[in-house]
Amino acid sequence: MFYIHQTACISPQQTFSGTGIDLSREYESADNRMKALEPAYPGIPDNILRRMAKAVRMGVGTALPLIRTAGEKMPEGIIIGTANGGMEESVKFLKQIVGYNEEMLTPGNFVQSIPNAISSQISLLSKNKNYNATHVHRGLAFENAALDAAMQVNEHPGNYYLVGGVDEMASFHYNLEYLKDSYKKEGISNRRLYETDTPGSLAGEGGAMFLVNGLKDQALARLQALVTFHSEEEGAVAGRLRVFLERHLASGGLAPDLFLTGENGDQRITHFYRANEAVIDDNIPVARFKHVCGEYPTAAAFGLWLACQLVGGLPLPGHMVKRAGIASANYKTILFYNTYKGQQHSYMLLTAPSL
Amino acid sequence: MSRVFITGMGVISAIGVNIPENRKALATGQCGITKGTSFPSRYAGELPFAEAPLSTEELKEKLTIRDAGVTRTTLLALHALEEAILDAGLSDEELVSSDTALIGASTVGGMCLMDEMYRDAHKTSGGSEFLASYDCASVNMFLQAHFKMNGIVNTINTACSSSSNAILYGARLIKNGFAKRAIVGGADSLSKFTINGFNALHILSPEVCTPFDRDRQGLNLGEGAAFLVLEGEEAVATGPAGSGATGDKNFYAELTGYCNTNDAYHPSSLAGDGPYLAMEGALSSAGLQPGQIDFINAHGTGTENNDAVESEVMQRLFGVPPAFSSAKSNIGHTLGAAGAVEAVYSILNLVHQEIYAGLNFTHPIPETGLHPVVTYRRMPIHHVMSNSFGFGGNCTSLIFSKA
Repeated sequence: MFYIHQTACISPQQTFSGTGIDLSREYESADNRMKALEPAYPGIPDNILRRMAKAVRMGVGTALPLIRTAGEKMPEGIIIGTANGGMEESVKFLKQIVGYNEEMLTPGNFVQSIPNAISSQISLLSKNKNYNATHVHRGLAFENAALDAAMQVNEHPGNYYLVGGVDEMASFHYNLEYLKDSYKKEGISNRRLYETDTPGSLAGEGGAMFLVNGLKDQALARLQALVTFHSEEEGAVAGRLRVFLERHLASGGLAPDLFLTGENGDQRITHFYRANEAVIDDNIPVARFKHVCGEYPTAAAFGLWLACQLVGGLPLPGHMVKRAGIASANYKTILFYNTYKGQQHSYMLLTAPSL
Repeated sequence: MSRVFITGMGVISAIGVNIPENRKALATGQCGITKGTSFPSRYAGELPFAEAPLSTEELKEKLTIRDAGVTRTTLLALHALEEAILDAGLSDEELVSSDTALIGASTVGGMCLMDEMYRDAHKTSGGSEFLASYDCASVNMFLQAHFKMNGIVNTINTACSSSSNAILYGARLIKNGFAKRAIVGGADSLSKFTINGFNALHILSPEVCTPFDRDRQGLNLGEGAAFLVLEGEEAVATGPAGSGATGDKNFYAELTGYCNTNDAYHPSSLAGDGPYLAMEGALSSAGLQPGQIDFINAHGTGTENNDAVESEVMQRLFGVPPAFSSAKSNIGHTLGAAGAVEAVYSILNLVHQEIYAGLNFTHPIPETGLHPVVTYRRMPIHHVMSNSFGFGGNCTSLIFSKA
C-alpha cells in the first residue's frame, strides 16, 4: 500500500518527537479523560494559533514538522481523517446562536468548526495547492484517509502524501458520548482500564500524522494491507480476520510477530477482541494501547503511529502487553485490529520496509 | 485502470423528488427558492431558502422508516439512494456484495437537529433518540445498516465540494480495484447551524439568488440529496445479476475527468488558483482540451467572491468559456449535496442533449462580461464540466462524457 517515512504524534503521552518519545512514564487519566499533552506549537503564528480549535492545532502541529522535513518536495496531497473536526468551536457557535437568538453572530467559530478546517489550515499554512481531502466516517475516518493515501500512492508511487487522524475531546462531545454510555460511569484510572467489567471506556484525543510514498528507500515501515467493514456479529468479524490472514500474510509467507489491538475496557465489545485473539496463534504476543490514549474515533491513527515506532525499534512498554506469547527482539510484522463501538472494524498489516 | 460509468441516478431537491421531476423543472426554468417556513430558525419565513418538497414526516411515511433517531438528512439521502438503486437495477446480491462501496458526503449530518443536540449536551442522564445521529457519518451508518452493505463505506466532508469528492473517491476505489461498483453522493438538510454560519459571514442573499449577475447579493441555502451508481468495466460487462448481459444497463455517461485541489488562500473565500488547477487537472485527467467542453455546470453560488473568481478563472483557462450556468438559481446551495445533485444535472445534459437556463440573470459582471445561458436549448453535448468549490479552499471539478 505505502511506505511510511516520517511520523508525528500528539497524544495524552509523551509522543511528540520534539521532547523525545517516552511511553514508559504512562501519564494518568483524570476524571475518566485522557487529555492530549499539547506542545507550544512554535511553527504556528500566535495570531492564527489563538483562533484554532484544539483539533486544528493538533492536526496542524503534527503536520507542519513533517512537511518541513520533507524539504523541497511538497506533499502532493493532504488527507485527514477526523470524525468531529473542531467540535469545541461548533459548540461555541451553538452557544452564540442560542445566547444571541441568531443575531449579530461572529463567524470565526463557525469557520473553525468545519471538519475540513484541519486539512485546509495545513494547506493554507504550507501554501499547498494539491489534493486535499477530509474523511469523517466516525470510527473509520482515519482508515478511509489511509486508503485514500494508498490509492494516491498506487497512482503516483514517487509522490509524497501527508495522511493523518485527529480528534479532540470537547466537553460538549464528552457529555453526548457519556449519555451514550461510551465512557465509564464509575471513576477509574487508565492503569486499571482492562480490569473493569462495565460498559464504556475512557475518553481520549490526539493527532497522528504520517508522510508516505511508494518508495522503500529510507522508509520507517510499510503498510501492506488495510481492510475496513461494518458488522455487529462476532462470527463475521472473526471470519474477516481469517480471510485477512490468508490473503495478506499466509499467501506471502508472513506471520505476525505482534497482535496490536484497540481493546478499550468496554465489556460490551471486549468479545470482539477475544474472538480475534482466538483466531491467531497462541504464541503471538498481544498488546493493547487505549489505556495510554483513551478512546476516540480516530484512535487507530495512534495505533498505527505506535506500530511504526515498534517496527522502528522502540521497545514494547510492559504495560501494553496483554499476552506475552513468544516475544520478538524487534517487531517486523504487526497485525493491528480496532473496532469503534463494535460497529466499525479495521485490520491493518504493518511491516518493516524490507518485507 | 478501469473506466467508470454512471448506470443509475436518484435525486431530491427543491424542484422535485425524483429524476423526471427535476429534469422537467430544469427544462422549464422553475425556481424552488421560497421563504422557507418548515424548519426552526428565526430566519424561516424571512430569508429565501430552497426546501425539499416533502416534510420529515412525509419522508418517513413514504420510505416506511420507523426506526428511532433518523434525521431529515438521512431521510433525504435514503430517498435519493433508493431511486438510484432502482434505476441501476442493482440486485440485493449486488447491494450486499463486498465489491459494492457506499461513499456519501454531508456537511450538516444530524446537525439539522441543532436544538435537540444542544439540549442533549446539557443533560446528565437520559438523552433523546438522536444521541448517535448528530455527526456527519450518521447518514451513511444508517444507510449501511439499512441495506446491510459489506463493502467499503465512507463519509467525506470537504464543505461545499463534499459530494464531488465522494464521486471522485468512489471512482478511484473502482480504478484501484477496491470495489467493482460504488454508490456515491451526498445529502444535506437546512440547519440553523449553517444558516447562522453563512449569515454571520454576510453571504446569505435577502432575495432569490442571481448567479453571475453584477448585482448579486449572496447565496440561498437549499437542501437535498443525490446518489449515482458508478460501475467499472468489469461490473458493466457482467451486467445485473441473472441477466448475463449488458443490455439491461443504463449507460448514462462516463466519468472521464476529475481533480481535487486547494486554493490555499483563505478559510472562507477564494483567490483563484484552486479553481483553476481543479478545472485544468480535470481536463488533463480526461485527456481533453478546453475547447472540447460543451457546457459548464458552474459552482455559481451568487456570492460576490465566488462568481467573480469563477468567471475570471473560466476566462483564464478557456479564453472564451463554453456555455455555462448555475443550478443554484433553481435549487439554492445544497452544500454537501451540491456536487452530487449537480452531477446528476450534468448527466441529464448529456443524456438529453439539452442545457438548462440559469435564472434571475440581468447584467453581466463588468470585469468579465460573461453571460450564463438564460434559455433552455437543445444542442450536441459530448463533455460537461461540473465545478464545486468550498470553504477551506477545497475545489473539485468533474467531467462527465457521453457514454
